[in-house]
Amino acid sequence: MALIEIRGLSKAFGSVKAVDGVDLDIESGEFITLLGPSGSGKTTVLRMIAGFEVPDSGTIKLNGEEITDLPPYDRDVNTVFQDYALFPHMDVITNIEYGLRVEKVAKEERRKRALEALDQVRLSGYGSRKPNQLSGGQRQRVALARALVKRPSVLLLDEPLGALDLKLRQQMQIELKELQREVGITFIFVTHDQEEALTMSDRIAVFDKGKIQQLDRPAAIYERPINEFVAGFVGVSNLIEGDAASKLLGKRGTFTVRPEKISIDSGGVASTARKAIGTIKEVEYLGPATRFNVDLEAGVRLVVLKQNTQESSQEVMSMRGKSVTLSWELESEYQVQ
Amino acid sequence: MIKSAQHFLNRHVKTRAALLLSLPLGWMIVIYLGALFALFLTSIWKIDTFTSDVIREFTLENFTDVFTDRAYFNVTIRTLMVAISVTLICAVIAIPMAFYMARIAKPSNRPILVALVLTPLWASYLVKVYAWRTMFYPESGFLQWLISPLGGKSPGFGMIAVIIGLTYLWLPYMVLPIYAGMEKLPSSVLDASADLGAKPGRTFREVVMPITWPTIMAGSVFTFSLSMGDYITVQILGGTFQMLGNVVYQNFSLNLPFAAAVSLIPVIIMMIYLAGIRKTGALNNL
Amino acid sequence: MRVTNLRKLAVLVAAGTLVLAGCGSSDDSGSGAYEGPLQDTPGTINVLAWPGYAEDGTNDPNVDWVTPFEEATGCTVNVKTYGTSDEAVQLMQGGGYDVISASGDASLRLIYGGDLQPVNLDLIPNYVDIFDNLKDRPWNTVDGKNYGVPHGRGANVLQYTLGKVTPEPTSWSVVWEPNSPAKGKITAYDSAIYIADAAVYLMATKPELGITDPYALDQDQFDAAMALLEQQKPLIAEYWSDYTKYIGAVQSGSITVGTSWQVIANVLNGEKATVGAVKPVEGATGWSDTWMISSKTEAIDCAYKWLNHIITPNVNAQAAEYFGEAPANSKACALTANPDHCNLYHAEETDYWSNVYYWKTPTEDCLDGRTDVKCVPYSEWVKAWSSFRNK
Repeated sequence: MALIEIRGLSKAFGSVKAVDGVDLDIESGEFITLLGPSGSGKTTVLRMIAGFEVPDSGTIKLNGEEITDLPPYDRDVNTVFQDYALFPHMDVITNIEYGLRVEKVAKEERRKRALEALDQVRLSGYGSRKPNQLSGGQRQRVALARALVKRPSVLLLDEPLGALDLKLRQQMQIELKELQREVGITFIFVTHDQEEALTMSDRIAVFDKGKIQQLDRPAAIYERPINEFVAGFVGVSNLIEGDAASKLLGKRGTFTVRPEKISIDSGGVASTARKAIGTIKEVEYLGPATRFNVDLEAGVRLVVLKQNTQESSQEVMSMRGKSVTLSWELESEYQVQ
Repeated sequence: MIKSAQHFLNRHVKTRAALLLSLPLGWMIVIYLGALFALFLTSIWKIDTFTSDVIREFTLENFTDVFTDRAYFNVTIRTLMVAISVTLICAVIAIPMAFYMARIAKPSNRPILVALVLTPLWASYLVKVYAWRTMFYPESGFLQWLISPLGGKSPGFGMIAVIIGLTYLWLPYMVLPIYAGMEKLPSSVLDASADLGAKPGRTFREVVMPITWPTIMAGSVFTFSLSMGDYITVQILGGTFQMLGNVVYQNFSLNLPFAAAVSLIPVIIMMIYLAGIRKTGALNNL
Repeated sequence: MRVTNLRKLAVLVAAGTLVLAGCGSSDDSGSGAYEGPLQDTPGTINVLAWPGYAEDGTNDPNVDWVTPFEEATGCTVNVKTYGTSDEAVQLMQGGGYDVISASGDASLRLIYGGDLQPVNLDLIPNYVDIFDNLKDRPWNTVDGKNYGVPHGRGANVLQYTLGKVTPEPTSWSVVWEPNSPAKGKITAYDSAIYIADAAVYLMATKPELGITDPYALDQDQFDAAMALLEQQKPLIAEYWSDYTKYIGAVQSGSITVGTSWQVIANVLNGEKATVGAVKPVEGATGWSDTWMISSKTEAIDCAYKWLNHIITPNVNAQAAEYFGEAPANSKACALTANPDHCNLYHAEETDYWSNVYYWKTPTEDCLDGRTDVKCVPYSEWVKAWSSFRNK
């Protein structure tokens, strides 16, 4: 039995269907990410699991018990909010103790657990600070500690890293994943950042228009996107369709090839490889790699990503306007819906 | 010439600020501090007891009169009681009202609710107080009509009528700052409290109230000071009941220095009050 | 609100000191009444009057004796009314008014304060027709110098709501005694001068106090009057100074008996008789009002013309009838709309006025001529009243 079972979950705000018939099973101890653009329904699903929104239809079960209509304070789940939602009038330790105090945990026990939680998020010694005396990353950790100290069976994280700068975000991604393994709690993580989702998750549910488009392991999502939307949202996608598909591939339908799977002007190409001739229109030097936008004679533009193993920046920049041949292995090419 | 002046001002930020602010600052000093000083000065002057003319000679007699006559101690206490009651009642009404307006009502309805709260301020002060007067008439007033079937009796004119009247008058001044404070309250903080297991009552007590406390204090500055200084409502609704404002009003035509001495009492009380709540951050929410 | 009040007060303070500074230097002008003759210079006079004394048609288009004056003389008249003598004194001291209708408790304070100028009666032809017992009285004449022309007089009557107070009262006891049938619905005048009303009642009920003039009270007599006021306080519903508020309270039934003016009773009886008004057996306080000229007026000709106009027999008749008092001009009685007016108000009965005690300003030198004791001066009355009201 799954820890969380969601069946037929729907929610509309006015005439807008935010969530439209979502089914989802989440296993205990899993790190699952709800990924999608804003307005795709991922946050609404999270808020319904937390109890902040009541679904129009459908059910949510936790540990086999239906919690669909329970208020937030009666659910064994805790949330880490996008804006941290720390209580500004309480110091850090009081913030962390709040949930335990509400639960009427004895004072000493409470303090002990709060200090442990603080230690867990590596903020020992910050207990008497007020939230406004902390940096964004520190507040994030306090919010995490405040939720974890309740030892919920599920932790809900609503774009918790969204407000942090890139460096800190990458660091926190690693810490969060480690923490999750350490405490063994189920994490349901909402983000619109596909890279974040790919890095951290055991499974990813890709949302669009209130529906789950694809639910799978990160590698599968990336390498075998089920449809055009997933292909486009997760990573950069090259879509070959219509006439171009007939000319280049000799078949009908919509196909995709990931940019890093395409070689540019490579001599030794296997006989099974696809070939296509085109002109380089744009060159973007990214440091470890270079991105080329190539207009093919077949009438489609493909993005190609090439590792800068030998070439200097001047060399790659001078390639603009050159005529080139692109090639890729047949197994890199997938048909999407 | 103009250019060099511009350059000079550009480089000397403080001079520029001083020039810009000199007019409003001068105005403030003249109007507020000057008035207070004039008040104090007047309170240490004598009067010609027959013609009521002010004689500019030093005396402390006005203060001895104020502090030795028990009547003025009593009226100070009564005034404080009214001001405190009005403030407490306003807070008790305004907090849930503001909470409803800012957090529960549909966002599209909020401007309408704010406008409704403000409606009493559109009418003339006197019209409103006289309207309350007709309600409080012991025989024929609306309150008597309302209460008498239940076996009660209209309180008639007096302290209770004054408290009710002032509460009505100053309520918007309490609702608006609290409303503004509660509207600024992020909803995630309320969600977080519920998420951590707190029922709505507890969230209200431990999260909403402490965070909006400075705005409640800010509102109280209005209700408290407006009540401390009022005398017209007291005249109209008070029956034989009087407050400090009435003492000033009764005396300022015949004995201006004495009236000035009496009017220093609410000034001092307000200073103490403001100093007391300064730490709550209320003054940043006025 | 509080700040606004303080600011107002402070402005008043500032204004007051300026004016007072001006006052101090103004000479007392010796015998210096205006010599005339009156010029036909147009001007503007600001008139400070009891409500109902200088009607310009604003309250009732049919009641207007200001406009005819303006048309006849070319003088422009602005009228400001006041509610109590204390207010009048304060406004007058503030300056800006040319003529005033002052009661006896205001006039002396203004004369001694240098706010008024002696009046040359030769320039006021109508003066000869004034009742003799109003001429050269202590509240309009000082050191043999006349300071104005009498306008009218009246008693502060006992008013009661018909049907609510039975039997119809003829004594002030109904407002003073703890067993009053009107307990809790009584009103009294909200001014220190009301202490004299207590003294009037004591004159009749406690002759052993030896009060002969309610404005000349030594300390013992004064204390007795204050004690009577204390006794009355629990009976009082409201003290009044704003007569529109008073009228509303009577109409609502929250007040049924108390000291009043005839004009208030007249308004209340406008549509049908609802109240009675009597001068009780003990006598009553009252007023005798005088038109006076500011010492600082710049429109002296218009001011004199106004004084003459206001006591013209038919104007005096209109004003007295509208206000509800006895006219000062003996020829006015023939011209009243109600031919019985002068009888109603006892204008020509010398006896009636014998126990009406006109408002005067109490002074330390007893006004009743006693020299063996000091009397309580008005400033102490004011202090005592302020303390009493806030006890």
